Amino acid sequence: MRKLKICHLYPEVLNLYGDRGNIRCLQKRLEWRGISCEVKKVGLGDKDPLTDYDLFFIGGGQDFEQEVLLEDLRSGKGASIKAAADDGKTFLCICGGYQMMGQYYETHEGVKCEFIGAADFYTQGGDTRMIGNYAFQLGKESGGSTVVGFENHSGRTYLGSGVQPLGTVMKGYGNNGEDQTEGVRFHNVFGTYSHGPVLPKNPEFSDWLLETALVRRYGRADLEPLEDAFERAAHDTMLERVCKGTAGREE
Amino acid sequence: MAGKLGTILAVGSCKAARKVLHLLKRGGTTTPGKAAMFFDRNILAKTAEGVETIVVVGTNGKTTTAHMLERAMTAAGMDPLANRSGANLLPGITAEFTAEASISGHARRKYAVIECDEAALKLVVPLVNPKVIAVTNLFRDQLDRYGEVMNTLEQIRIGVRMVPEAILCLNADDSLVASLALDVPNPVVYFGLDLPVGEQKDAELSDARYCIRCGTEYTYSYHTYAHLGGFRCPNCGYRRHQTDVAVTAIRSMGMDGSDIELRFGTASEGKKQKQTLPEAKPHPDTEGSIKNTERKPEITGGSVIEHVHVGLPAVYNIYNAACAAAAFTAAGYDRQKILPVLAEVHSSFGRMETFDLDGVRVQMILVKNPAGCSQALDYLAAMEEPYQAVFCLNDRTADGHDISWIWDADFEKVCRDPHMLHAYVLGDRAEDMQLRLKYADMEENGVEKVNAEEELIEKMRKSEVPVFILPNYTAMLSLRAVLGRITGKDAFWKG
Repeated sequence: MRKLKICHLYPEVLNLYGDRGNIRCLQKRLEWRGISCEVKKVGLGDKDPLTDYDLFFIGGGQDFEQEVLLEDLRSGKGASIKAAADDGKTFLCICGGYQMMGQYYETHEGVKCEFIGAADFYTQGGDTRMIGNYAFQLGKESGGSTVVGFENHSGRTYLGSGVQPLGTVMKGYGNNGEDQTEGVRFHNVFGTYSHGPVLPKNPEFSDWLLETALVRRYGRADLEPLEDAFERAAHDTMLERVCKGTAGREE
Repeated sequence: MAGKLGTILAVGSCKAARKVLHLLKRGGTTTPGKAAMFFDRNILAKTAEGVETIVVVGTNGKTTTAHMLERAMTAAGMDPLANRSGANLLPGITAEFTAEASISGHARRKYAVIECDEAALKLVVPLVNPKVIAVTNLFRDQLDRYGEVMNTLEQIRIGVRMVPEAILCLNADDSLVASLALDVPNPVVYFGLDLPVGEQKDAELSDARYCIRCGTEYTYSYHTYAHLGGFRCPNCGYRRHQTDVAVTAIRSMGMDGSDIELRFGTASEGKKQKQTLPEAKPHPDTEGSIKNTERKPEITGGSVIEHVHVGLPAVYNIYNAACAAAAFTAAGYDRQKILPVLAEVHSSFGRMETFDLDGVRVQMILVKNPAGCSQALDYLAAMEEPYQAVFCLNDRTADGHDISWIWDADFEKVCRDPHMLHAYVLGDRAEDMQLRLKYADMEENGVEKVNAEEELIEKMRKSEVPVFILPNYTAMLSLRAVLGRITGKDAFWKG
């Protein structure tokens, strides 16, 4: 029986917007195909090596709790995370977890926080939040499907050379509200601003992540298709509302 | 426009707009307020002048707590003004005071109790100058409106700082709420549960795991629910404050409410912070529902223990009762007036409200954030008889456009409950709700999407078991109207 090992990083601090639904989604979609799955939580202060995992998940958090996190990254975990990314492990990083993989975050007031620096991008704090339902089209190297989600961030992320955006914004703000890019893709790291949680109602994207991790572990994926009627209904309804601009009525 | 003419136009337009809405049988309460504010932006300062007001704020339990206070004030012959329809932003509150004022803008009532939205507090309190501000709790709620829970707390803090003389009535068990007392000159009274109720199941989902002052993880001597309980920071010493009004025992909890012991006055002089914690389990010898006036209080030291029946079920209503009792006594009113009321309050507008739909018992429980929703799901999962469940999810402005919180509420509990026979989903986000249930281990054919309220009513009529409806805010308003019409219940609660 095939098996994937999932590492849920910092679940106690990065857990803001229902993002644990992503873990549940990955677990279920493996389970429904008879692939076994083990999820381990690795939090602040945990020193166990990260070399054993196939797939990493990092969620978004409150600004308030960021300081304790930065300290933990500096104590060596940041380097282990970067090493796992360089090693081709699959990562799904959301919002704060996404920003964390970049070079740094510079607040609106000019204070600079050094991040993991796993890839060439950085985030600049803004004075307004970019909030709302949004949709983007994944790049070919990430499967090409459309993703619908909810973004809520004041940070504006700018990609450097050598990394691809995860997708192109169809409706909404994306990385910075300026260049139509959304998220980041490098090695097998997928970073996005999409809460929602992103995976359950974007089943193609979920399976793309699982396939990436299975290929890395077993050389091939062979994922059986699932019925996904509820998944598609949720995806299609929201995509239509977002594109028409009718999501979230003022009432 | 200010001055006398402005006042007259403001009051007049408010009264007229309200009358028109009333004739149209519309419950809307913001339009009259907006009309009044058009003529005089700060009309509320005038129409609330001299009114002794209690303001209730906090993410969960505002409406129920305010309702308990209103009933108690009515029982005490105080004839209070209240925003009972739940319109809790500045225009809605302006409308309540202004429509009740004389045409020259003078208040005709002496007392008021109003629930206020967290972000609106800073706009409302400078105008109404409240005697007491009661803060029920703080949970993640409507994140896309306020950013995050810390931001919501800051909004409240800004409001509190504007009225340094208002008495703060704070939930001692909530480390976020209790922090409002830090660095302000206001007098403070604390309420809380002096005993554990449950275990905190998933520390990960805590809305306040780290010390608000220094960032160190709290330790807890006991938990009640969510992040509430006996918290203490091992680093800086910030800890749960001793309570002035506290639940010291829970003798029984059931569908018809809870029997508790409520202590008024601090525990005992001399050993201020030392607490002995009573047993968590409900007392076995339940004495059923008792009228709160029939019991004699026990007097120990400087405090009094009252035996109280809370007419609404679940632990969060015990908190609401404690909050209401604390706010009422903090305002200087006779506690004997509120104790009987706590037993009589059965439901307030969509919160645990029960309807008889042609013989089918239908109960509506408003849910709007993970903490409240998980509590409601706990209540369902504890049922010892079969039932059907309806989950109704909208994403309009008053609900918050972001519905991702449904993934932080424990739907698994109900989906795996063998007593839950069938589930219906509806609303703007019915498809998301349906998907949430699927990932909570619901069989796909056990959940059914309905497209309209009328269709749901027909399905519920045919049910042979009780039906529980868990709607979020705007879904509740519209379902409540339909159910009220069909079952002959009034559009607004009368209690």
